[in-house]
Amino acid sequence: MKPILEIESLKKYYGKSKNKTKALDGITFQVMPGEFLGIMGSSGSGKSTLLNCIAAVIQPSGGTISMNGRQIQSLKGAELAGYRGKEIGYLFQNFELLDNLTGRENILLPLSLHGIAEQESRKRLEQLASYLEVQEVLGKFPAQMSGGQKQRVAAARALILNPGIILADEPTGALDSKNAKALMEKLLGLNQNTDATILMVTHDSNAASYCRRILFIQDGIIFHELRREVPFESQQEFYGRILKVMAQLGGGSANVL
Amino acid sequence: MFFKLVSQNSKRSRKENGLFFSSLLISILAFYLVLSLSQQDVMVFLSKMESDAVNKLLALIPAFYAMALIILFFLIYYASKFQLERRRHEFGVYLMLGMRRTRLFAMLLAEDFRGSVISLLLGLPAAALLAELVSLVTARLVGLGIVGHRLSFSLDAALWTAVGFLLVKLAAFLILSGKISRQEIGSLLTETPEGARKQMHPAAYGGAVLVGAACLAAAYAMAIRGDAWDGIKRMGLALILGVFGTFLFFWGLRLPLGLAARLGNSNRRLHVFNFRQIQENVIRRSGALASCSLLMLAALCCFGAGVSISRHYGDSGQHVLDYTFHGTEDEGPAGQPLGEREDAGAKGQGSGENDKTAAIRQTLAEHGLEGYFSNLFEMKIGHIGTSEDTGNAFQMESAMSALREMEPSRARDMLLNNLSYTTYPYVVSLGSYNQLLEAAGLEKLELGAGEAAVYMDREYASVGGAEELLGRVLEARPKALLGGEELYLTGPVQTVNLVTDRSITLNFALILPEELFGSCTQGEYGSYLNGVLDKSTVEHASLMALFSDMNQKLDSTGLPYESYLQNMGRQLFYMVASSYITIYLAIIFLIVANTIIGVQFLISQQKSGRRYRALIHLGAAYAGLRKSARAQINWYFGIPAGMAAFGSLFGVRALFTGILPSGAKTDLPGMMAVSAAMVLALCVAEFCYITAVKRSSDRYLLALMVPEREE
Repeated sequence: MKPILEIESLKKYYGKSKNKTKALDGITFQVMPGEFLGIMGSSGSGKSTLLNCIAAVIQPSGGTISMNGRQIQSLKGAELAGYRGKEIGYLFQNFELLDNLTGRENILLPLSLHGIAEQESRKRLEQLASYLEVQEVLGKFPAQMSGGQKQRVAAARALILNPGIILADEPTGALDSKNAKALMEKLLGLNQNTDATILMVTHDSNAASYCRRILFIQDGIIFHELRREVPFESQQEFYGRILKVMAQLGGGSANVL
Repeated sequence: MFFKLVSQNSKRSRKENGLFFSSLLISILAFYLVLSLSQQDVMVFLSKMESDAVNKLLALIPAFYAMALIILFFLIYYASKFQLERRRHEFGVYLMLGMRRTRLFAMLLAEDFRGSVISLLLGLPAAALLAELVSLVTARLVGLGIVGHRLSFSLDAALWTAVGFLLVKLAAFLILSGKISRQEIGSLLTETPEGARKQMHPAAYGGAVLVGAACLAAAYAMAIRGDAWDGIKRMGLALILGVFGTFLFFWGLRLPLGLAARLGNSNRRLHVFNFRQIQENVIRRSGALASCSLLMLAALCCFGAGVSISRHYGDSGQHVLDYTFHGTEDEGPAGQPLGEREDAGAKGQGSGENDKTAAIRQTLAEHGLEGYFSNLFEMKIGHIGTSEDTGNAFQMESAMSALREMEPSRARDMLLNNLSYTTYPYVVSLGSYNQLLEAAGLEKLELGAGEAAVYMDREYASVGGAEELLGRVLEARPKALLGGEELYLTGPVQTVNLVTDRSITLNFALILPEELFGSCTQGEYGSYLNGVLDKSTVEHASLMALFSDMNQKLDSTGLPYESYLQNMGRQLFYMVASSYITIYLAIIFLIVANTIIGVQFLISQQKSGRRYRALIHLGAAYAGLRKSARAQINWYFGIPAGMAAFGSLFGVRALFTGILPSGAKTDLPGMMAVSAAMVLALCVAEFCYITAVKRSSDRYLLALMVPEREE
């Protein structure tokens, strides 16, 4: 099986010579189709930079990113916009729903951006809305929705064009624990039932325990990797292991390393 | 450090926000232009000729100044608002770092003052230059050398400009900075979308649109039928209906826009997003948009009316005669004063006076003034003296019936109506008329015995082809009866002004051969001495100086006279007073309205920067966003401008029915055409404004495309 996403010694430096910050300093990993991959790290470790590089929102300083065998650094203009819109689905920490558009209009926004006729996606909209339980808020504006509903509408928007990979940037960051759990279960369900590939950046260990594999990043490099041993390992046990690594990553790392 | 910050910030403001800075400059120009009005060449000239009227107009300047102050306050307020809004985050940071609010206030005040002083330093010389240019151009336009130019910088005007500008700027600043400094640091630091709006039932909005449209329709109908001019009450009602209707219409507009977002061709890129954005802007600022639309309407009406009126007064025909001296060839009351309808001709011609043309000549000669004239001739005008029956002294049934058989047209109906009253026309002697033609450099008129030429003043003849129509009738030499005697009317229609005074006009007169004139008037006629100045002998900087000089000399003779200059002055006054002020106001209104709309759009675009960023994340390309923002700008400007343009069709027409003199009303289609042209020209101005805002929006979006480092 070919990997859907390949990252090869990816580097991103900010600033000039003396005060250069190495946000990413040579990161290499692959994502296989149908994988649910988590990326964890403390604040400033470079995880959002990594996600932004993959989303082609920022240009890396070195290395390659290949999506389905195609290098995305070489994409320009319309191709790039097409890549961002159709091949990846992006889930934001703050939902980034447009507050003057209704739920339905928000979900259909990618279609409108890429000039795709609405009729084609009507069925998919219904499926997604029913799976994510947002049918009743389709006609409402974001101000009239709860946080969980907003994020689920945002998820529907990220999925409407059936992207090859979903990039989720701290999707539970702005949610309470109950809504966070509900969202993660929906994402897990998507992953298991439809083989959706998900790459999620988080520093919520609870959310991370839904993943199959977790990469830990510190100071721009991959510092550790965890794999959940299915079916032998329960989510609870996996969570315990994550916490241990996080303890090392945090203030404790100096003592351990 | 404090002053360095102030100077850097103020410099940055100027560089980053051209719109803001240019609106400051425009305000300065506007203030100076209205204040320096009394220094304009045309006004200097007029104050000599029509001092009463000019003084009245100049007395109005403080009122105009106050009005400009209020209108420009809005301009500066909105421009400054935009300026401060975009720096909210910066202010939040200052406060977070521990700057006290008073110090922040002092810093902003210092920046503001610095900016104002720099604007004044740049703006005042520019304003003086522009005033000079306007002065020169109007002088050239109105009289080609009639008015001598002189340098006209006015220190008073400059001072008052500075005072007014600083005052308005300070007032706007105090209000805005008060608003900003009351806000919490937290809300300054985050880009807050404005709070959720209360939504009413859609029917309320739908009803508002309908009622608004109905009010507008009623107001337009009242305006165009002329009802509105019947009295203050009716005028007030029309105005209130119009204003109320506009506000209501804009308030309700969210419904149609929402429907357009929902029902329109949603497969077009970002269609829904665009309409939701426009809808949001319209919802938030329906009042401001309605005001802008009304301002634009006012601008269009002012402009259209101003240009048309000035065109009417400016079209004074050819300039042949320079002076006319009043006198009577005959003794006694038989000397008929010309122009019973408009008694201006009788002015200076006291009924008991006994001056003869010869006596006038003699007086002129005595004062050594005869040499100044290249031509002095008598103009003899009288009434039919052979018939007592003024209702039937003249009959031209065959001409009338020929006219009746012509194709129906406005000109024909007007001629038929006017000519049906010409039963007792003036008669003019051919000899004196030929002298006039000679002075005008035209061919002499030849009349056979028993023939009469038809005279009609240009003001009547030029309306809707009346001259040509009557000319066609006269080609057949129709028969007519004059005091019981038969005579033949011949063409072409004569239209050269008989005397200098342009307020004397004859609707219809007959030019008779000398013999016939004598027998017809029985020797009782009015007489005028027309003079043409010999321009070659006198060297003067301008025609105005020549006339002023001559007038002084003539005043010493005690002779009553009418000079071309006085007429010119009267006409000029109407022209300048109406056109200068209306056009000035139109430009100010237009600038203010457009700036407010533009600034509001840019503010709201910056406030929705987050949405644009989300769109970029979702894969929007720059070209797509640019197109979407441009579409929004078109709509945002287009809605109020379109409303205003539509309203101006009625507004300009209403102004014509209401305030134009009767003579000009007859040329309504022509006037409307001029107004339409002006409206078109204003559309071009609108286009320029839209383009500027689009550029600004493009720059903003391009800056958004570069991602920020968010960690």
